[in-house]
Amino acid sequence: MAVCIAVIAKENYPLYIRSVPVQNELKFHYTVHTSLDVVEEKISAVGKAMADQRELYLGLLYPTEDYKVYGYVTNSKVKFVIVADSSNTSLRDNEIRSMFRKLHNSFTDVMCNPFYNPGDTIQSKAFDSMVSAMMVQAS
Amino acid sequence: MAQCVQSVQEFIQDSFVPMVAVLCSEDAEKITRKNNLNFSELLRPFCRLTSEGHVRDPNNQVQVVKNLRISVNNVVTRPSVPTSGVHSPAQRRLLSAVVSASQPAEGGVANVITAGDYDLNISATTPWFEAYRESFLQSMPASDHEFLNHYLACLLVVSSSEAVPVEQFHKLSQEQHMIQHNGEYTNPKWFIPNTLKYYVLLHDMSQGDEQRADSVYEDMKQRYGCQGCYLLKINSRTAAAGTDEQIPDPWSQYLNKSSLQSQLNVLITKSPKNYQWKSNLSTHGGLDLDLDNTHPLQLETAIDMPGSLDSLRAIAAETKTTTVYTGVAAGTSHGTCLTLNDHNRLRLFIQEFTFRGLLPHIEKNIRQLNDQLVSRKGLSRSLFSVTKKLFGGGKVPEKSIAELKNTSGLLYHPEAPELQIRKMADLCFLVQHYELAYSCYHTAKKDFLSDQAMLYAAGALEMAAVSAFLQGGAPRPYPAHYMDTAIQTYRDVCKNKVLAERCALFSAEVLKSQAKYSDAATLLIKMTSEDSDLCSALLLEQAAHCFINMRNPMVRKFAFHMILAGHRFSKAGQKRHALRCYCQAMQVYKGKGWSLAEDHINFTIGRQSFTLRQPENAVLAFRHILTNDSQQTATQQGAFLREYLYVYRNVPGVCEVALPQLTLPCINSSATRVYFGHERRLAEGEKQAATHVSLDQEFDQDLAAVWQDLEEQVVAAANRGVVPSTFYPTQCCLNSQTDNLHFPLAVVEEPIIVEVAFRNPLKVPLVLSDLSLLWKFTFKDFSRPQPQDIMVGDAVTITNEKEAIARLKLLPRQTGQLTILGLVYNLASTPSTGDSTINSPSATAGTSVRGRQDLEIQGPRLNQSKEEKTSVSHGPDRRLDPTITPPMPLLEVFFLQFPTALLCGEIRKAYVEFCNVSHVPLCGLRVASTHPDFFTFGSSSLATPLTPLSPTSFENCSAYKTLATPPGATPGSVTAVTLVSAADFGSGGGGVFGTGGKRIAEIPLGEGTLTPGESTQLPLWLRGPDQEGVHEINFLFYYEGAEKGGKISHRVLRHTVFICASRSLSVRATACRSNTLPEEEGRNGSMLVFVDVENINTSEAGVREFHIAQVSSSSKQWRLHKCINPAENKDCKLTTRERGKLCFRATRCKPHEATSKSLEKYTFADLSLGNEQIISSTTPCADFFFRRCQPSESWRPLIAVETQGRHSRSQGAGPGGGTEDITGVVRKCNEVDLDIIVLWKAFVVEDNKQVILEGQLHVALQTIGKEACSLRQKEEAQEMVLLKFKPELPPPMTRPSMEQLSHLIKTNLHYPESYSHSFVQKSLCMVPVILTLSNCSLAQVDAIIDLRHKTTSPESLEVHGSFTWLGQTQYKLQLRAQEVMRLPLRAGFLHAGVYNLGTPRVFAKLADQGAMCETSQQTATPGLIIINST
Repeated sequence: MAVCIAVIAKENYPLYIRSVPVQNELKFHYTVHTSLDVVEEKISAVGKAMADQRELYLGLLYPTEDYKVYGYVTNSKVKFVIVADSSNTSLRDNEIRSMFRKLHNSFTDVMCNPFYNPGDTIQSKAFDSMVSAMMVQAS
Repeated sequence: MAQCVQSVQEFIQDSFVPMVAVLCSEDAEKITRKNNLNFSELLRPFCRLTSEGHVRDPNNQVQVVKNLRISVNNVVTRPSVPTSGVHSPAQRRLLSAVVSASQPAEGGVANVITAGDYDLNISATTPWFEAYRESFLQSMPASDHEFLNHYLACLLVVSSSEAVPVEQFHKLSQEQHMIQHNGEYTNPKWFIPNTLKYYVLLHDMSQGDEQRADSVYEDMKQRYGCQGCYLLKINSRTAAAGTDEQIPDPWSQYLNKSSLQSQLNVLITKSPKNYQWKSNLSTHGGLDLDLDNTHPLQLETAIDMPGSLDSLRAIAAETKTTTVYTGVAAGTSHGTCLTLNDHNRLRLFIQEFTFRGLLPHIEKNIRQLNDQLVSRKGLSRSLFSVTKKLFGGGKVPEKSIAELKNTSGLLYHPEAPELQIRKMADLCFLVQHYELAYSCYHTAKKDFLSDQAMLYAAGALEMAAVSAFLQGGAPRPYPAHYMDTAIQTYRDVCKNKVLAERCALFSAEVLKSQAKYSDAATLLIKMTSEDSDLCSALLLEQAAHCFINMRNPMVRKFAFHMILAGHRFSKAGQKRHALRCYCQAMQVYKGKGWSLAEDHINFTIGRQSFTLRQPENAVLAFRHILTNDSQQTATQQGAFLREYLYVYRNVPGVCEVALPQLTLPCINSSATRVYFGHERRLAEGEKQAATHVSLDQEFDQDLAAVWQDLEEQVVAAANRGVVPSTFYPTQCCLNSQTDNLHFPLAVVEEPIIVEVAFRNPLKVPLVLSDLSLLWKFTFKDFSRPQPQDIMVGDAVTITNEKEAIARLKLLPRQTGQLTILGLVYNLASTPSTGDSTINSPSATAGTSVRGRQDLEIQGPRLNQSKEEKTSVSHGPDRRLDPTITPPMPLLEVFFLQFPTALLCGEIRKAYVEFCNVSHVPLCGLRVASTHPDFFTFGSSSLATPLTPLSPTSFENCSAYKTLATPPGATPGSVTAVTLVSAADFGSGGGGVFGTGGKRIAEIPLGEGTLTPGESTQLPLWLRGPDQEGVHEINFLFYYEGAEKGGKISHRVLRHTVFICASRSLSVRATACRSNTLPEEEGRNGSMLVFVDVENINTSEAGVREFHIAQVSSSSKQWRLHKCINPAENKDCKLTTRERGKLCFRATRCKPHEATSKSLEKYTFADLSLGNEQIISSTTPCADFFFRRCQPSESWRPLIAVETQGRHSRSQGAGPGGGTEDITGVVRKCNEVDLDIIVLWKAFVVEDNKQVILEGQLHVALQTIGKEACSLRQKEEAQEMVLLKFKPELPPPMTRPSMEQLSHLIKTNLHYPESYSHSFVQKSLCMVPVILTLSNCSLAQVDAIIDLRHKTTSPESLEVHGSFTWLGQTQYKLQLRAQEVMRLPLRAGFLHAGVYNLGTPRVFAKLADQGAMCETSQQTATPGLIIINST
């Protein structure tokens, strides 16, 4: 489903980026990085007061020629970005939503690991396999 | 979008200005040429009007025209390039040149934008974009659908020097007319058929006749009206006067700026910059053309004009040669013949022309057009359009043309009535009547749309939007959708990219001015296409600027689009701009963890910088990629590396002047190790060199402490027991853990080896070659000037993947202070083939770069004072700053026949060779060891000539000094008794038992010194350690130079051996008091010694059997006297796991021996069990005996020594209270202090050969009755370890135990074994018994002898019942020290039988003590007596 899944720290540096076509990795890095602007815009648009009840799922951030970029922000301002192929029309909003939820759960597990040092890049195998599962479904 | 110099209004206004053509006569051209300008150029700086003009609109309202600019251009009559909607290649080149010519000013003011946590340094303006835009707009082809850049008027210029100027005017006028109306030239487009002609008479003040000019002008006024002509006087400045006067050059900013453009300008088909082109042309053959065509026109191609073809040819020719001419043109100054007055005249001329000629002309035309429109309005507009639809045939011819122009829709004839309204709109627009213009455009738009004339409609839409925007305080909002539609139509319907782009530029600018940055960005991004990289790049860059200028700056989008722009720039060949873009984007990506992107940008920056000849930047950028722990793949890294090396290699002048600082590979500077001293020979044949210290060894903190302690001891020994205050432990190898606070000392002519640890952070291999050290040397006051330090040694290391080390050698040749600065090496990516030996970097093939890297070692963090604890400060590290000192002796030590495995207690002889390899004599050789009992050099006082000095004759010869046993001697009896002083075997002055020198031995050198080059061999005896297992034995050889007072007081050499000891025999011994009467009067010393010998050897060692060859004793008071149970076959053999018991009698030494001058002397007694006697009192045996009691097990410095000291103190009978005394006294009497030396031979099968090994084991008998063992008890060692952790318990109040006290007095009964008595005769048998009491102690003892049968156990009653002691039954006696007293007793027997006489009970106490200590003494052994009855 997804071609690229990224987890970005509160300070906007990547905690985790995986993409399916490896040779295009750089492009996805750029895409994800650029999408952060939109994420920030969306967060700030919600306003401070509403921040608590804010919906974590941000929806479609922006479409590029080939891809659709979706965003999700946890309450601790950790961003999840999923890049999906535009041609994949079967992908509905609900599915994206559930993917994010899964991602969030898995991320929480990583955070709960007492050996994980918050702020480090994620190297968890469980997380990795979960992400690959989400990406494999596509291909 | 970046800020522009102009406001939006100004920008749009200046984009559409009234166009004026120029036609110049030949003579007039000549006049202007004097100033290096043609006529239109001459006017250019004065084309902006400073004063306001006025125009009346059709409603007679006065419209103010402010800040109007007109455009004056020469007529160009070249064939037009079809308006294909894309730029021609020449145009592209022009635009590209314009952009690349405009670069950001060096050090220009950049504004800092803070967005979130980003601080970006962005150039506020983008002059290249403005230049591009200006150039782009000027190069817009005049198209049919709009009239804004069609010529409105024509200046006809004729020189006053002309013979008949009026005729000339006529000619030019005709020419203009022909160009416009002939129909052959499509190109210069004219606004209205009735073009305004303005006649200009040019008068050259410097040469012409002014009056004549005036008269001609008067004539002209008559002819053309005073508003239609002008007399322009210029060139009033003479060449002579001109030099000193400073005249501003207003042309420079118009002409020089675009000198670069000019070369390409030549090729531009429709450029309003034709003045440039003309300027080139006029210097050439094309001159006539200009003179002929007095029409000041832009883009008309006059094919039929004479010379036009020539001019075309000239153009073609010039394409190759223009560079030269433009170069000349750019160099020369303009307007040299003009004074300021002339400038004013020009300005006035333009003003006059505009206000008197042009504006009224426009006003007139607007009125005219308006009237036409109004008249047409009479017809129903709707009806008109309906009829148009119904009778569409009227437009058939146009449609057919339209078909030609394919999809752009309908095309009108230039003079078509449909265009009238558009013309009027354009005119209104030009005179800044935007309100009217808007309504006209709006109307026109509707018409065109209904006609499906899409191109026209789009044009009208565009202009409607623009004029709506330009209406100050506009009543209606800006119709952005007009623009969008226009762009879309231009692009999609008309396929005209250029127009679409123009439209987008306006639109974006307008949106920007309305702060709709997001829309502007979207628009700009939409306009990017694959066709034009340059255009796309510029637009993307502007879009990026839009993102950053938003209310919430979108930094990342900015960065991303900057990168895209940079990419397009680089594709368009605009390297400088590309670099700039990447650099700006870099600010966003830098250090944010997006390493992949960062690397990519850095790489691109590196490349671009390199191609732009900014190698420093390139190097910097590349360094970034390669030092970061990059996540790139190996291939990518390889590519990076190659590029990096390539860049380095091509950095000009780098290799010649200063070597570049390389960053690859990483140097782990703290892991740098420095080794002082020469490389040692490791082994030479059988010789085995001292291990010393080498770089191959790992540093061990504990071991270093051991060595340091040894050195301290040996230094103390060498300095009479005091460690000098300047003492500093020798460190041969410095690393991160050693103490590097002092400047290390290195000796001249001895190499210094520096080991550098490299780490390769990349996934690709790096090759280093030609490594050498960089150093600095300063002379110190050691006054011996001379040779240079020579750097020796370099190494080639291939660092693959992870880590590698390189060792570099430096040989100091002079004393002074050396500082090692860094490394120089060649870096290559892949192994270059075998050229590592060539020094010059140019010779090394492939991509190899010579560079340097500094070695800077940070010292350990300071943590002493409070400030140091709170702040982070580091101490110095002087590892790399050795001081070179004068020569010192250098010792090498070799070992010969040095075993690796020994049996416990085995004695082996080896040889050691000392070799002085320096040029300085050596003395004071000493050795310290952790295991002093392991080896001995023999005693110095006793010459031992019996053992051969050379190792060759050693084979199968016993290490011991032996004598054959006299044939008659009984085995097991004492064969020799020798007295030996311990001092003889003590090494050095202190002796073995000296306090400090315990582990130090002086090595007996021949003359005490080793001269340079000399070597000495000495025998060395080794004894296997008592404990089995592997032993690490450290030797520290100490030596000094013959000259004192050098910087280095002494040197040391280390050696470590590992000895594997395997089990041999276990000897246990006990001593007990013999109860037999002493044979000699006054001597109560007789003792039985039982020696248990067990073979505990595990058979793996190949030992077949052990023979006990001899048992010797050594003691100050005792000596073995005789073997009680000699074995039958003389020898005592023990095979595996066999045990043998030997019994000996020991006696006290002879009185004279004991009392003789030295009580310290030891008596050695040898009891040979074999057929030869080993003289135990000589070298190896006695040496080891004296070294034996030292603790060798688990010896660790300080702690162990400390505990041991305490241990012995607590045991020793120190001074103290009475109890202590008693203890001592009491113990004394039990003390034996006899050492048994068991000498054995082991028969070992080794390689089918029988070898006899010899050895000796020691057992120290301390007390009577207590078993002593040759093996140290393991528990003891453990306890010592424990002592480290527990506070030591105070020694318990020592009271002599009962058991100990019971040994005070030894009793013996002396009586006949059997006694016959005739009970018949006499019923009572009395037997005399003598009780001998001997005091074992050295104190007075009170003894009580009780003869009563007190213990009345039934058993004893039964046995003893029938016998009684007669006479006194209790005696109180006092025994002096060592006194033997005989007490006659009588026993009475009533019956015959066997009786036990051992009933007397003896109590003893020390004389001066209370009764408390009274103790029953050991009951004597049963004394059986047989009473026979006769």
